[in-house]
Amino acid sequence: MYITISFKACLLLSIFLLFSINNSQADNFASAIKSVYIDTKDNNNSLVANIDYPLSDKAKEALQNGVPLFWNIYIKIHRPRNILWQKTLLETTVHYRLQYHALLNIYRVINENSRAINNFSTLSAALDLMSNFRDAHLLNQIDFEKEKQLVIEFKVEFDRNALPIPLRPIAFLNQQWYLSSDWTTWLWKK
Amino acid sequence: MALEKIKPSINFSVLSLFGLILLSLQLMSSATQESSELSRMYSWLLVVNAIGSIVLLWLVGANIYTLARQLKQREAGSKLTTRMVSLFVILALVPAAIVFYFSMQFLHQGIDSWFNVEIDRAMEDALELSQASLDQRTRWHLKKTQQIANSLESTSGPLLTQEVDRLRELSGATEITLFSKPGKIIVSSSINPGEILPSLPDEHIWLGLRQNSDYVALDPIHENELVIRAIVTIKKPEPLYLQALYPVPIRIADLVDSVEFAFLRYKEMGFLRHSLKLSFSLALTLVLLISLLAAIWIAFISIRSIIAPVKALVKGTKAVASGHYDEQLPVIAQDDLGFLVESFNEMTHRIAIARDETRKASVEVENQRAYLETILANLTAGVISFDADYKIRTANQAAYRIFRIPVNHFIGHTLIELSETTSELAEPLKLIQRLLVQSDDIWEQRIAFLGHNGRQELLCRGTPLFSQEGWRVGAVTVFDDVTDLIQAQKNAAWGEVARRLAHEIKNPLTPIQLSAERLQHKLANKLDSSDATILQRSTQTIVQQVEAMKEMVDDFSEYAKPSKKLSIAIDLSSLVQEVLALYTLKSEVKFNTYYENSLLVINGDPISIRQILHNLIKNALEAIEEKGTIDINLHRVQKNSTDFIEIAFYDDGPGIKEEQIEKIFEPYVTTKSKGTGLGLAIVKKILEEHGGAIWVDNSRKVGAGFIIQFPAYTLIHQKPK
Repeated sequence: MYITISFKACLLLSIFLLFSINNSQADNFASAIKSVYIDTKDNNNSLVANIDYPLSDKAKEALQNGVPLFWNIYIKIHRPRNILWQKTLLETTVHYRLQYHALLNIYRVINENSRAINNFSTLSAALDLMSNFRDAHLLNQIDFEKEKQLVIEFKVEFDRNALPIPLRPIAFLNQQWYLSSDWTTWLWKK
Repeated sequence: MALEKIKPSINFSVLSLFGLILLSLQLMSSATQESSELSRMYSWLLVVNAIGSIVLLWLVGANIYTLARQLKQREAGSKLTTRMVSLFVILALVPAAIVFYFSMQFLHQGIDSWFNVEIDRAMEDALELSQASLDQRTRWHLKKTQQIANSLESTSGPLLTQEVDRLRELSGATEITLFSKPGKIIVSSSINPGEILPSLPDEHIWLGLRQNSDYVALDPIHENELVIRAIVTIKKPEPLYLQALYPVPIRIADLVDSVEFAFLRYKEMGFLRHSLKLSFSLALTLVLLISLLAAIWIAFISIRSIIAPVKALVKGTKAVASGHYDEQLPVIAQDDLGFLVESFNEMTHRIAIARDETRKASVEVENQRAYLETILANLTAGVISFDADYKIRTANQAAYRIFRIPVNHFIGHTLIELSETTSELAEPLKLIQRLLVQSDDIWEQRIAFLGHNGRQELLCRGTPLFSQEGWRVGAVTVFDDVTDLIQAQKNAAWGEVARRLAHEIKNPLTPIQLSAERLQHKLANKLDSSDATILQRSTQTIVQQVEAMKEMVDDFSEYAKPSKKLSIAIDLSSLVQEVLALYTLKSEVKFNTYYENSLLVINGDPISIRQILHNLIKNALEAIEEKGTIDINLHRVQKNSTDFIEIAFYDDGPGIKEEQIEKIFEPYVTTKSKGTGLGLAIVKKILEEHGGAIWVDNSRKVGAGFIIQFPAYTLIHQKPK
């Protein structure tokens, strides 16, 4: 009886430890959303987010070897209501691609939505562009005159399904490819 | 019935699951093509296939577990199923493993063969060549830009715009722009007049220009378009910056792009080399695993359906072996096994019919045997049968009753062995055994022995038994206790003697007595006193003896005549009291009587019963010489579900010797000096005529005891008088 209990306890402890290790490893390389707000300067409303992309060595190695990396930024903006459920004003996804060009030795960031291309001679410069997310057109459909307070949900997802097929099973098993952030919620008040 | 309904749905589920797994594998195969729409679902398809293989593994595991349990419980058909499944698994696994091993080898070697040092070097060189080519071109364009800058050093004012246009056209540049400082455009000329705003260098370029006076680089302006951007400083008191954009020829751009694409593709492949091997190995393993597991699972289902009739046959055979001949098996298919099952059903049907007939016959035989046994058991004659070795085979109840030995317990033993258990019967049993062995024909012998009820006489007949072939297979002996019969014959003979004696002797006695009395009467006065006295004495003696003889003759006639003249209910307690009242005057005799407080009534002739009581009381009085105690007890007893009334007479006289007990009830047997010896014989005779019995009871150590027993009066008879 005691042996059985101790065995069960060990098993549970092992599972817990495994999850803890996995989570801690995942946290090391997961994108982190530092801040999200709406910049209303000069009557020009822009959604601004500060994101941290701590790329793992595996991801850097893949990028360096010509594997393009894809991120999806999910944005949801709701109007909070007291009695009814909150109303969704905006729900969109922005796709980013980061790619290395060996000929020119540059890193190219492409906004797949706007087709805007930015080239950088260093990876950190390319990641800096992605980190400082700013979009003035996304909020055009929201009438800020009416809104007093908004709830912004923000998530950065690394698209593992866009990786080359041979790399995908490994990307799902290796923690170095867990580069997505969790959903974060931010409150904006006028 | 319910199982049959479920079966098609099970088959459908099996086929559906198998189809789904195959579809999933096919989709996964399609998804490996990068261009395929399914490419994005590759991971999910991989997961679905992995789940499918786990489901199959579980199904196979469940089947193996069930089979192992059936093997442990030694269920019918489990061993055959194990053999067939094992054979199938070996047959499927070995070639699959060989194919898998070599496929893996070829796959890994094939992937490895894509890469080698020469190709690596060639790709690197191709890229370097492209870079060198572009680099040469950029440097040449830089030099050209410097020449333009030199020519513009002396130009200023309104001519500057025209000069710039001219130089742009001359140099082949697409755009030339003159900046006074970062972001401040002085003059700009473009091949495309529609573009109002020229291409501006970014902050990094301006930063570089501050450190170095010139800047040249290839700039990708669109995704697949390159331009050479050259910026030089025009040395003036207020320095100016000349930017010229030169297009890269399309042919060169395409070639460079192609080289870069090939290089990156090759590098990516190199990077994915191990992932590729792992991915292909995983897919191949998954396909093999799913195929094998599905095949094993289907093998289980198929073998089970093949084995089902065999299993049913084994079960049916076991049922038949344990005596259930009504077992009928379902015919599942019209194949060889179905034919076998049908034959089995036919066989069991016939066996069942034969069994029923045999059972009926054996029941009849058993009934006959039971009937014979009942007859034998109820025979008054004892019957013992013997086998060829003269060992007892059967013995009926009467044998026990006669011998008082449980002969049934000696089945398989000889009579010699039986005789060792009883000393009284040793000689007769040995004699019977000897007669059985020696006689080849029917024999008959009277055998006397001292039994439980005294001397008993058996009339014994024996017959040897022969088989149809003439072999001696045993013997049977029948014996009957003829003691009572002989006794009855004796009694009848004695009765006849007594009747004749009474008839022959009684007639002359009266004349003798009358003659003697007449002699006395006539001669008494004529003789002298002495002679007269002699005469007197003689005639008196004659008269007395004649009287005595008359009494004796009366006794004889009493003994000879039937006593049961009437048959009425008699209250024995009243009758005993009446009779005793005649003897209570004898002061020196004490009568102790005990009457049970119940109805002590019998059916009989009161005079005869009274005579019995007188005889026994007289007998007791004579035994105690009319001085002592006589105990008389009356009570009801039950023997063999029949009620009897018992009267016990006990005196404190000298008692009866053991050797006299045997013959004390026979006529002319007496222990007294006087008496005819007919008293107890008459008592016995009357009692027997009334269905009763008498025996000596010597359980009391003092005196003699007689117990008489009458069948009790039952209520169906008339009420007592």
